[in-house]
Amino acid sequence: MRLPLRWLREFLEIAASPTEIADRLTMAGLEVEAIENHAPAFAGVVVARVLTVERHPNADRLSLCEVDAGPIGRFRVVCGAPNVRAGMVSAYAQVGARLKAAGHGAVEQAGGFAPQLEAAVIRGVRSEGMLCSERELGLSAEHAGILDLSNGSEPGTDLAEYLQLADTVLDVTVMPNRGDCMSIFGLARELAALFGVRVRTLSRRRAAKARDGVGHLSIAVDIRDPDLCPRYAALAMERVRIGPSPLWLQRRLELCGMRAVNNVVDATNYVMLELGQPLHAFDLRRLAGPKIVVRRAGNDREMVTLDGIARTLVADDLLICDAERPVALAGVMGGQNSEVGETTDAVLLESAYFDPVAIARTSRRLGLRSEASARFERGIDRAVQVTALWRVAELIRKYAGGRLCGQVTDVDAKPAEPRTITLDVGRMEGLLGVRVPLPEVRRRLRAIGAQVASAPGNRLYVTVPSFRGDLSEMADLAEEVARLKGLAEVPATLPPGAGRVAVEREWQRSFRCASRDLMLGCGLTEVRTISLTAAAENERFGGLDRAAPVRLQNPLSAELGEMRRSLLGGLLQALRFNLNREASAFHAFEIGRVYGLVGDAALEAERLAALTYGDYVLGRIGAPPVRADFFTLKGIVERYFEGLGLDAAVRFEPLTANEVPYLHPGKAARIVLDGRSAGVIGELHPAEARRLELAYACALCEVDLSVLMTYESSPRRAIEPPPRFPSVGRDLALVVDRGLPADQVVRAVVEAGPAWLERVELFDVYEGEPMAVGKKSVGLACRYRARDRTLTDAEVNRAHEELIARVTTRLGAELRA
Amino acid sequence: MREKLEEIRRRALAELADYASTDRIEEVRVRVLGRQGELTAVMRGMREVPPEQRPEIGRLVNEIKVQVEARIEVLAAAAARAALEHALTQERVDVTLPGVRSSCGRFHPLTLAGERILDILVAMGFEIVDTPDIEDDFHNFAALNFPPGHPARDMQDTFFVDAGLLLRTHTSNGQIRVLERRRPPLAVVCPGNCFRRDELTVRSSPMFSQMDVFMVDEIGRVTMAHLKGVLIEFLRAFFGPDTRVRFRASFFPFTEPSAEVDIGCLLCGGAGCRVCKQTGWTEILGSGMIHPNVLRAVGHDPESYQGFAFGLGVERMAMLKLGVDDLRLFFENDHRFLNQFPATDEGVL
Ligand SMILES: [Zn+2]
Repeated sequence: MRLPLRWLREFLEIAASPTEIADRLTMAGLEVEAIENHAPAFAGVVVARVLTVERHPNADRLSLCEVDAGPIGRFRVVCGAPNVRAGMVSAYAQVGARLKAAGHGAVEQAGGFAPQLEAAVIRGVRSEGMLCSERELGLSAEHAGILDLSNGSEPGTDLAEYLQLADTVLDVTVMPNRGDCMSIFGLARELAALFGVRVRTLSRRRAAKARDGVGHLSIAVDIRDPDLCPRYAALAMERVRIGPSPLWLQRRLELCGMRAVNNVVDATNYVMLELGQPLHAFDLRRLAGPKIVVRRAGNDREMVTLDGIARTLVADDLLICDAERPVALAGVMGGQNSEVGETTDAVLLESAYFDPVAIARTSRRLGLRSEASARFERGIDRAVQVTALWRVAELIRKYAGGRLCGQVTDVDAKPAEPRTITLDVGRMEGLLGVRVPLPEVRRRLRAIGAQVASAPGNRLYVTVPSFRGDLSEMADLAEEVARLKGLAEVPATLPPGAGRVAVEREWQRSFRCASRDLMLGCGLTEVRTISLTAAAENERFGGLDRAAPVRLQNPLSAELGEMRRSLLGGLLQALRFNLNREASAFHAFEIGRVYGLVGDAALEAERLAALTYGDYVLGRIGAPPVRADFFTLKGIVERYFEGLGLDAAVRFEPLTANEVPYLHPGKAARIVLDGRSAGVIGELHPAEARRLELAYACALCEVDLSVLMTYESSPRRAIEPPPRFPSVGRDLALVVDRGLPADQVVRAVVEAGPAWLERVELFDVYEGEPMAVGKKSVGLACRYRARDRTLTDAEVNRAHEELIARVTTRLGAELRA
Repeated sequence: MREKLEEIRRRALAELADYASTDRIEEVRVRVLGRQGELTAVMRGMREVPPEQRPEIGRLVNEIKVQVEARIEVLAAAAARAALEHALTQERVDVTLPGVRSSCGRFHPLTLAGERILDILVAMGFEIVDTPDIEDDFHNFAALNFPPGHPARDMQDTFFVDAGLLLRTHTSNGQIRVLERRRPPLAVVCPGNCFRRDELTVRSSPMFSQMDVFMVDEIGRVTMAHLKGVLIEFLRAFFGPDTRVRFRASFFPFTEPSAEVDIGCLLCGGAGCRVCKQTGWTEILGSGMIHPNVLRAVGHDPESYQGFAFGLGVERMAMLKLGVDDLRLFFENDHRFLNQFPATDEGVL
């Protein structure tokens, strides 16, 4: 809501500066976004009447005029405008005036003061000043003729003052609960409460003048759906002459962000801005008689609004109809069939209260947001309808020459009961944490227009004013009491409960922190990507088993059309983004949620995904770097599980063909935790790598944290003291089939050994001469140790030989010489 | 024989001069003390020595052996010392060359900010509860006192998904999720991602992270004064002990009274600048006393319980603290941005 302070001061005598007013509003919940200072682009220009117009003796196109500037005097000026005529009232720039927009094709002054206007001799005739066009005054680009002020202004009046060009406008953000502040009067009322002064209401007598010459037309109003329209008031006027509004009024509309249309439409908008009641003017002659029907659209399917667009209706849209057909979409926009235009000479004025939710629904569905709908949606004053009608009638009578055709028809189908709230003052203080003396509570509530009466106990009966539909219970009143003084009077205290120990352990948070620490320790950087993705990406990376992707019904774009099912798409996108920006390597991870839909239930699972690409370990200068591949990432994942204490539980199992289509089929594995799948790891499929224009292998993994989180908060084995007896080592090399996974060989060896075989480590895998084709040699180091004694060479040798015998049989292996 | 031995001694000691080379020392050792050496030869020829002289000769052989060995030991130690000194003058590396290294990982700034915020809140007694991103209308709107068609819903342009669900527009669904299954006293923080229909720009993003913080207890035990106390404590812990905080009346459907919270502009210190629009204040979060309708919606009697709530944007907190003014930086993951953050989560934010 834009608030010009000159307009405000018509309702409020207030000495405060614009900054003070803005601060007070801001602290009271009506944030002032900006304070705009508007200054006229000229000085020394007054209203003047043209008395005579003669031909310039030396130039056909120029006129010689005598102008009357009232108390300032009479002057002779040369004028080139084609529209100048005797009797016209226009803008006269005296000698000594300053015009910033000099006009006549002259270059505009770059700020500061324009030079003073001097008396000039034009074609042999002296001109004492000039008559000005709108462009010369910086009002608009209009330069076809001089300004025509014939609509009621006194010669000699300072033009800037008359047009109210010097003004300060506050841009106030009005929250959805404060419909009452969507008007100049409403903000004046609010400021009066904040500053403790009185607000001036519109003079009854000024409004009453409009009742001159009342005719006998009576308007019938039939409200069929009082739930959507509890009240409808109407008034008809005739002998209206459509034309432009006076400039000061146009100026006010413009300062409030509205465009001037004509004197009737402008008058309705003016009153809406002033009182907050949206009004609509119908061309009375285009209605089928003086009858208004308010009803739901029902079977009506379409109507053409005054912007010329055919709007599709739904049954619950509220329509304003004449005796035969719809003429307006209630509260949203008028119909083309009853629009006020240049030929209109009689109007029917509407002032109604529409249901906020109904208006919001219709305007949102049609994408038609207007100043009127914004006010109806927030809820307007339930009591201002008739006042607003008289006010607009007065303006139309004054500036469009209209006469009343009859009295106001006011149908209040569902009168609103005043709302009374019982305020327990102790309870309010308990909410706010501050004591407010009872007289002060009463004073503040009265300041916002409420009626306050005593009630038994420490209670008050508070009857809220008609314009404060947002006040419905104690907490609302508590807010008013706190707000009017500013929240600064509420002290800051720490609650008694603060400092108590959180009830639940923050296991999930510690787990995430540990995961991040371990990833960082492996040299991976954490990224955050947006969890919206394209359907194609979701298809590419698959996702939660059996869950359908979560589709947005109103996405910003197809690229962000679904919730991600995997974190890998985002990581690859981040990789590509960085490669395009001077990166040659990228090692990153993300912890985040993935989403799916099973039937009507949404599924959310937390995952950790990692990606490594390019040089991973830089060796000493001269030695080659270690480049990221399956094994560098596997090392990271192994270290991660070891860090979590889960290394004994994790296995890497080869994938079956095409099980994970985006991974290289020969360089990918499933991560299995105690027999449960916990994720995948592998190099990106070469076809995908080509699509992303990657130069090297890119290794990826995605781990399901919900599986990991099922382990105890600190998964740890029992802690033992360091061994007291020495260990004995024996190596062996087994020749096995090339396709046999090394980890099966290790497991077979472990199973074949005695209980005191402490550890088996793989140290070499070799293929080629002298091994037969299809065979490989696996080198293993076995470490034997007993807990209770030093082992003898003899018993170790015997055990190792038995182990070899068993394992060679079991695997069909040979001992390598 | 005696003369022969003396000759061996004289020659060996002469050859084992102070600067004898390692080779010469070894040559002498082998010639004199070796298995085929001169002293062994003497011992083998003892048969030819008259028996009465044998003890005398044996003693002499032993004396020479010890003497030569001692001399060799001294010389060998000196030679080893010299060799080491020589080697140390030769073996010099350029200590300014880079070490063997792998890349250094970094925390994302939103993690740094988020964890710092959680540290403070946990220390103040709040427990962390995770809540869903995909929500229904009840938990995101209706229970939070946004009736259908209420214009306040427009302030939050919502993404809708199938099955009548939506992406939560704020983490305040956490209040409903927690309050509907637990009884006060409660002090909870719900962190998480939220979604609104905004393009990714300098100032807006379709996804952002929020934390909803609330405390509910019996009437009078958690008041607006406590809200102010907790918030001032919290904001000073995050932004520094001298942070100025002010509370402005405002509107949120789910709180009544509601207050917008500002902190003194970190850039100009309150003098007024472009960033704070000359006001000296920066909007930081929204807060208020939980609306009675919210408590009613989850089956708690507002005549028995009340509480406060505030909601903060992690990005906004991080941007203010770091002096970053482009929201996109948090989601683009440009290595040149991320690499400026440390690999530790202590003491940065
Ligand atoms: Zn500032």
